[in-house]
Amino acid sequence: MRNGFALLAALAATALPGWAVLGGSAESVVTDQLKFQAKRTVVETQEYSLHVISLDDGTLIREYVTPGGKVFGVSWSGPTIPDLPQLLGSYNAEFQNAVHVKSGHRRTAGVHDSDLVVESSGHMRAFYGRAYLNSMLPSGVTQEIVK
Amino acid sequence: MKRYGPLAGACGSVFALLMGLAACGGGDGSSSSGGSTTPVVTTVNNVQPVVVDSGPSLNGQPIGANDELFTTVTICVPGTSTCQSIDHVLVDTGSSGLRLLSGNIALTLPYVTDASNNPIGNCVQFADTTYQWGPLVKVDVRLAGEVASSVPIQVAGASNFAAAPASCTAGGIPAQTLLELGANGILGVGLFRQDCGVACASSSPPAVYFSCPATGCTPTSVALTGQLQNPVWMFPQDNNGLAILLPQVGAAGAVSVSGSVIFGIGTQSNNGLGTTQAQAADINTGNFTTTFNGVPYTTSYIDSGSSGFFILDSTTTGLPNCASSSDAAGYYCPTSPASFTAITSGRNPNGSGTTVSANIAFSIANGVSLIDSPNTSFNNLGGPAPGVFDWGLPFFFGRTVFIGIESQTSAAGTGPYWAY
Repeated sequence: MRNGFALLAALAATALPGWAVLGGSAESVVTDQLKFQAKRTVVETQEYSLHVISLDDGTLIREYVTPGGKVFGVSWSGPTIPDLPQLLGSYNAEFQNAVHVKSGHRRTAGVHDSDLVVESSGHMRAFYGRAYLNSMLPSGVTQEIVK
Repeated sequence: MKRYGPLAGACGSVFALLMGLAACGGGDGSSSSGGSTTPVVTTVNNVQPVVVDSGPSLNGQPIGANDELFTTVTICVPGTSTCQSIDHVLVDTGSSGLRLLSGNIALTLPYVTDASNNPIGNCVQFADTTYQWGPLVKVDVRLAGEVASSVPIQVAGASNFAAAPASCTAGGIPAQTLLELGANGILGVGLFRQDCGVACASSSPPAVYFSCPATGCTPTSVALTGQLQNPVWMFPQDNNGLAILLPQVGAAGAVSVSGSVIFGIGTQSNNGLGTTQAQAADINTGNFTTTFNGVPYTTSYIDSGSSGFFILDSTTTGLPNCASSSDAAGYYCPTSPASFTAITSGRNPNGSGTTVSANIAFSIANGVSLIDSPNTSFNNLGGPAPGVFDWGLPFFFGRTVFIGIESQTSAAGTGPYWAY
């Protein structure tokens, strides 16, 4: 199954976009296109659109976009941790600052501010995380949909 | 390789980590050991002492660990009796492979090289966003009376090696020194034989292994045998898995706890499965299912390297998060201990097709009260990990937990599996 998946991703890789930056415009996916070869599918709902991006190592990135075209949430799962500065954009600094002052525990990292929430967990071969901006959640959408 | 250090220049593939001890010639076990002589398979000491305590000392003070399991690892120049022991290496069932800090290594060790004779670098990233970067070298790993010969390990933070690639450091925090890591290394004894596995041996590998000529490091594929290895499966005997045994602690925890890692499953009189029940884990991720309040969570795992139960979120558990300004940021802080039961389940690894389940009772107490106490060993420290059920070190207290390594067999069946 993994082999078949990788082949599909490779075939689709030449002209498909990467992902957008948290808080940024949905069009910003194109600027990332060269950095991350990936295949993308889009699911439209009434409140938001969900872009599911598959990297050829099995990583899945989900980005949640408002009707106005802003990325209000992202999540990831896969055998390695994706490039978080790429995913979180200008919010990565706030996340890293929070991680730097954490207590000594291992294997999770997070920030829970009034606006920004970032959560990272998992272990070797299986990592998970999500990030969202409370201020950008579309009306009728709760944080639970970012998963 | 002369560009990596003045003394390494005359030494071919010998990796001079500590310049004063660099000695050319005798260190390259691959050429001088004459082939590893297979030890006669007899009963060897398979019990490795482990401890949960306040961690290694830094500037004369314990670093202040909580719920971290440590052991002392002996490494040797391959095929020789030139060895050193390194204490307070984290025992980690959430990864595979031995990673040691460069600053602790006093031996001269041979690089692992690729087909072009370039050294190979390894990047590991953990979910707490820390990373480790450094070259692969080969050592003999000695644990209890067991020896794994010519094991590729990572030397993290080697100053005379290529700088970490941007993809490794991106957004992460280095864990390359004692202060940064809080341990002298990580002994990955998880479910898998290698750290990465077939993905890193494929033609489009993730950015985990790098070929590092003088012009810079680029991602490369590495055959399974060249990757970081769980040393247990490389032992000549007692190599189908291991057990971790820790005594129970009280609700307030303990100052320290001494326990054992026993190598092999059903291979000696001291490592039988007894009444434990085995549950298979996913062959790709090592995950299984934990059902909590009737909801199944498939991203569930047992990780001795997690310093707490990291489970779900505040809304789902009803547990308040500790204040982000507190000593216990990232943990739960209920005003009084909360008791829970969850059900772990997995396929029986014996191939019968049945599902095996276990009810696990546990509690979570106030993280600030625990962390601020003099104790270091807690069976009730927990924190959030939304959507995830991470049975961390608290799970191991008062249990014998067997780790069945992938493709290795025992009376329980074929790994990867857990039994407890």
